Amino acid sequence: MAGRKGFQKRSKASEEIPSSSLADIAFLLLIFFMVTTVFPSDRARPIDWPEAAAAQKVDEKKKNILNVWIEEDGKIYINDQNYSMDEVSQVVAPLYAASDRALVISIAGDRDTPYILMDQLQKELVAAGVVRVVFAALLEQQMQRARR
Amino acid sequence: MAVLNKKKSGVSDEIPTSSMADIAFLLLIFFLVTTVFPKDKGLAIVLPEESEQVQVSQKNILHLIVQPNGMVEVKRGESQQIQTLRAQEIEGVWRQEVAANTNLIAAVKTHPDAPYRFMIAVLDALHSANAERISLQILEN
Repeated sequence: MAGRKGFQKRSKASEEIPSSSLADIAFLLLIFFMVTTVFPSDRARPIDWPEAAAAQKVDEKKKNILNVWIEEDGKIYINDQNYSMDEVSQVVAPLYAASDRALVISIAGDRDTPYILMDQLQKELVAAGVVRVVFAALLEQQMQRARR
Repeated sequence: MAVLNKKKSGVSDEIPTSSMADIAFLLLIFFLVTTVFPKDKGLAIVLPEESEQVQVSQKNILHLIVQPNGMVEVKRGESQQIQTLRAQEIEGVWRQEVAANTNLIAAVKTHPDAPYRFMIAVLDALHSANAERISLQILEN
């Protein structure tokens, strides 16, 4: 044993695992996943949100939430597609059935939409058999409310 | 000469870049944590099923009529007396009324031309007062 040790050459290579490129690899992975991830196409419409102090987080998984956007002039968007008012129930009903009746409809309405359109939309959702609905709103701070 | 006098410094003249990635990650995590998406919050409500009609005695209904200017007319069941209030005042009214009658149902009737935000303000007040029995309707003449 002692004799063999004498013959052993001292290696010039470092004993440590090179860690300087670790961050580069992590970033490459990050960018790879960012580029390959496909989100379900539902881009936010440019609406003015209503505000509510009692707004609560929707207690449902993200995939079970369907946003129905309604703009001030009554344009309705579901999953980036424009629909007319009487098409809504036909669009929502199959999605609702596919989700095993767990779907929550989030109505994202512009704050200045005339209520008659909101009422028609609610009637369409009732016709589609939807039960759970959320009126999407920004959380209003109590301070803000006191100032008004 | 000056060149001869200069000592060789032990300090590296390069800017240390090894911790740059750590800083970048910290920033990344900071923004991941602080980003909020507004559309995840809202006022939940349960819609009635189609053809579901429930007869409710007038004395168990609190009518809240939302006008296009944002004022709310409060009418208690059978009485014809109308009280005009601001949306924020509904919270107190509801707490008072529900203490007297636990079976009370809030019937929010919104004028067809009233902006959606006034209905939300009333619904917000009712939610703040922990109201559970809410009916959303449109004002018919």
